[in-house]
Amino acid sequence: MGFDFGFALSTIPIIIGAIGATLLATVLSCLGASALGFTFEMIRRGGGAPGLAVRFLIDFIRSTPVLAWLYFLYFVMPVYGIRLGAMTVGIVGLSLYYSGYLAEVFKAGIDAIPKGQQEAARALSLTRRDTVIFVIAPQMLRNIAAPLGNYVVSILKATPYLAILAVPEMLGRAFDIASETYRYAEPLTVAGVLFLALALIVSYGVKRMEKLLLASGRR
Amino acid sequence: MLDRRAPATSTLQSVPLVRIDALNKWFGALHVLKNIDLTLRPGARVVVCGPSGSGKSTLIRCINGLERFQKGTIEVEGSSLGRSDRDAAMARRLTGMVFQSFNLFPHLTVLANCTLALRRVLLKSAHEAEEIAMRHLTAVHIPEKARAYPAELSGGQQQRAAIARALCLDPRIMLFDEPTSALDPEMIKEVLDVMIALAKTGVTMVCVTHEMGFAREVADEIVFMDQGRIVEHTSSTDFFDRAAHPRARLFLDTILSH
Repeated sequence: MGFDFGFALSTIPIIIGAIGATLLATVLSCLGASALGFTFEMIRRGGGAPGLAVRFLIDFIRSTPVLAWLYFLYFVMPVYGIRLGAMTVGIVGLSLYYSGYLAEVFKAGIDAIPKGQQEAARALSLTRRDTVIFVIAPQMLRNIAAPLGNYVVSILKATPYLAILAVPEMLGRAFDIASETYRYAEPLTVAGVLFLALALIVSYGVKRMEKLLLASGRR
Repeated sequence: MLDRRAPATSTLQSVPLVRIDALNKWFGALHVLKNIDLTLRPGARVVVCGPSGSGKSTLIRCINGLERFQKGTIEVEGSSLGRSDRDAAMARRLTGMVFQSFNLFPHLTVLANCTLALRRVLLKSAHEAEEIAMRHLTAVHIPEKARAYPAELSGGQQQRAAIARALCLDPRIMLFDEPTSALDPEMIKEVLDVMIALAKTGVTMVCVTHEMGFAREVADEIVFMDQGRIVEHTSSTDFFDRAAHPRARLFLDTILSH
């Protein structure tokens, strides 16, 4: 059974039909993971008992498989009365899982900012909050544009995990076609190519953003 | 409760602006400031000098709360700068700081560097903040660089922008932490000229520097530090003509022979 090009073409619209779920899961997970990761890093920086707790939490998250998180959220949480839809579980799971990694990225981005920047902000009487918003975060973003982009691609590539919860994302849809037709090569190839295309677009976007960030005044 | 802070007018000239009593600071086991007593009257122009590691920078960083200290007291305009962040914030509002490494915000234009605290701390309107910033940028001779980013400026221009940024908050005391030490020789003069002009406005200045020519021209008081102590605190003429302490003599001989 050779590669049927015509059949491959016919699967494209069906698989692309699932691109919405893939993109939704990617975008919301990226936002969730970033917000959570940044919050974690801020608490960790604050030190004390909360800092220590977050430090442990981040290590815990990074030492467990993402599938374990998804299974746990989907099958164990309902036992405690928390019943979430498959897509929600997917987004929450990916957000939680990648927040641990993004916290590390944010940490590196902040550590790379010279100490004098915070001192200048303090000398100017800026509040801690304003210092983070106007001085630290913009410089941090500039420092981490590249690794942050890598994680966007990673999260995109992790969305097929959601197929185990029957979220209709691209790879899951491709596998459905394969199961129904017993032709695996074509739909899986099409899904793979579509993921590749998305990843390339994201990478390109990240490179553009990095350039823009760096163009606005280098050190 | 009466407001115990002296008003920023000339009616209370005799009240010291900064009073430091028996200040002691340690970095771990290292005793960096030893029993420092220092009083600054309004309008004083003080140069702090001494060999490296003598605690000069640490001393002025204590005055605006960038460094904590373990023993003694610092009062800025009568309000005690203790160990809490709130007190430090109070003192910081009255002081402007210029750093050796400029510490401009690289992602903001020179103008935005100047207006940030005006907008966020003094809550000025965008228009008013820009007006104030431009006035100070003009005073340091770089109004045409307002829309440039720090990286597009020479070191001397960056330091002048940093001085303008500090002046925007209308501080009672300007602290300079080796403001010309990171500059190429040909840029030192343009920064010193700005500081000389600033001295004429009557603002209180405390400057850590090795520029003895500047000290001689501008300072009315010299504080000489060695190994965490103030070993000499005299008028600038007395210091240059007849420094009493042998350590100060030796320092002067070394630095002036260059």
